[in-house]
Amino acid sequence: MARRGIPGVKAESDGSLVRRVLAGDSGAYAGLVERYRDRLGRYAMRMLGNAADAEEALQDTFVRGYRSLARCTDPERFGAWSFGILVNRCRTYGAKRARRDQVVIADEYALQNASVSHTADNDAWRDLIAWAIDRLSDEQREAFLLKHVEDLSYEEMQKVTGARIPALKMRVLRAREELRRLLTEAERV
Amino acid sequence: MSEHDKFLNRVVSTLKEPVQIDAALDRRVMAEIETMPRLELLPAPRSAWQWLTERRTVSISPIGGFALAAALAMIVVFGARTVNQVEPPVTLADVSLPAGTNAVQFVLVAPEAGSVSLVGDFNDWNVAATQLVREEGGGVWAVTVPLTPGRYRYSFLVDGETWLRDPQAARTVEDEFGRPNSVLTIGGA
Repeated sequence: MARRGIPGVKAESDGSLVRRVLAGDSGAYAGLVERYRDRLGRYAMRMLGNAADAEEALQDTFVRGYRSLARCTDPERFGAWSFGILVNRCRTYGAKRARRDQVVIADEYALQNASVSHTADNDAWRDLIAWAIDRLSDEQREAFLLKHVEDLSYEEMQKVTGARIPALKMRVLRAREELRRLLTEAERV
Repeated sequence: MSEHDKFLNRVVSTLKEPVQIDAALDRRVMAEIETMPRLELLPAPRSAWQWLTERRTVSISPIGGFALAAALAMIVVFGARTVNQVEPPVTLADVSLPAGTNAVQFVLVAPEAGSVSLVGDFNDWNVAATQLVREEGGGVWAVTVPLTPGRYRYSFLVDGETWLRDPQAARTVEDEFGRPNSVLTIGGA
């Protein structure tokens, strides 16, 4: 997929960009934002369920990342470091917003117009998945997305979330079970 | 592949579809950080820390001794054990102080820990910079650092993976990753 680029930025490593920013070239930070915007944005979208909240959390993440950049002890892993900030911001935004109220109408629509068997209808399937993901608890959704969508190891998840590995495994398991139950129910509608 | 795995794969492949984030977000981020003072970017000054390697003979007045004793309130109970009273030894004669600094002893009760680090604003959040030393015959870990007057955030890192705040600290704030940091304020002379 073609991606919008900033001339001279793509070839530069994360560590080099971070060092430039720390040396006073704040414009170099644009390269880091552009590089990680979509990847981090996907997690924020899946976690928060709507573009407005996701973009707000993402902007907050990048601004906080900039402010704390001197504390990024491994500049070559800026992506993983900023992902840790994003996970925490999504927790905060998820708690602040009454997001479940926002999707009630979408829930009803999804249930009435989509089912697991409608494989040809990709939009309906996506709506159904979004609905089901939204029904998970925040902890389950976070664990499921980190494990299965972002492909983090349990050790990495522990660092990002601060939760113990056995607890994380339990959340992932429960999330899988709940998703299957929800989507199977929807199939019967 | 089991039906369960096929189902999970379908869900995950949908959630992994790329998300397009409005490129205007980059501009908003950059506009916001351009308004921030550059000073916030700079790492904490290392000069006080470098004093550690230089030994100086300093006399400590009785009043200074009391001030030092007042700063020794860093006790964390580790694991399930309860410690009712801990009186870590403080040997003022062993403390070499740079001019204008206060000797502050950080103490952690962690009988089952294999290693303990002190990480904070004063050592650039370098997890390898300041190791606490286990007192002989017990679970008390301690380190003394010289600090100039100011406000410092810090945390303990046990066995390289568990972050602990100091419950005795007057203030606790969350960092960008949602981890609780303790806050220590050293007043001027």
